[in-house]
Amino acid sequence: MESDEELVRRTLAGGNHHYGVLIQRYADYLFGLGMRLTVGNRELAEDISQQSFLKSYTYLKSFDARKTYKHWLTGIAVNCFKDIRLKEQRYAPLDEANEASYLPRLEENSDFFNLIQPLDDNEKIMFTLKYVYDYRNQEIADVLGLKTGTVKSKISRALEKLK
Amino acid sequence: MNSIESIIEQEKGVSYTQRNKQLFSFYTLTLIAQEQASTRLKKRAEISLVLIIAFLLLFLAPISSLIEGFVASLSTIGIIDIFKLGVLNYGLVFIFYKFLKKRSIF
Repeated sequence: MESDEELVRRTLAGGNHHYGVLIQRYADYLFGLGMRLTVGNRELAEDISQQSFLKSYTYLKSFDARKTYKHWLTGIAVNCFKDIRLKEQRYAPLDEANEASYLPRLEENSDFFNLIQPLDDNEKIMFTLKYVYDYRNQEIADVLGLKTGTVKSKISRALEKLK
Repeated sequence: MNSIESIIEQEKGVSYTQRNKQLFSFYTLTLIAQEQASTRLKKRAEISLVLIIAFLLLFLAPISSLIEGFVASLSTIGIIDIFKLGVLNYGLVFIFYKFLKKRSIF
């Protein structure tokens, strides 16, 4: 099986079909991440994963091979999620600005979705990456472009909120 | 209510799958191709616009004197000169085409 980095290299050399392999490899991963961040909204999760692949392709030349493709893609997906939330807030009335306008569909694991519901977007992202995907604080900091200390304190604040 | 740890453990066991991965991949690649085509078209349009403007600036102002000069020179022009001009023109067009092709503009 070809590594992600090899597929990126081949895609950049002009083989778009190699990018198709990357899409198939990470489609479920990004969809799952999207489902968790949007607390179970399938349509938004699909949107996030598609936008992430499109952006990843656009900026593929800037991919730093010292990072893993998966982490890089995760960073893009997280930014897509934030963009969607920002757009919602821009067009929502001020008193509803911090509420998600989409209705969560809790048909999957509703316990988890109910658990993270009170967290704000950044806390949701960090909590999910840390506890569901087993990312280390340093990796989360890299993905979000924050300091490790900030990530650590925000995660403990999120845990406090949940307890 | 379940504890946080057990909810997380339960969530880790859940796997979310796209409805149709093949179709999703195909559709995403189509969108990428569409995006590339639109970028290429935009590039072509920009270059065409620049060329048209350059052409107009270069030739429109002195066009009457050029035409007069050209008409005057027609009386003395020979078949060899016409052939040379033709070769020169086609050569320039070919070089320009190759240049654009190399930069994936055409």
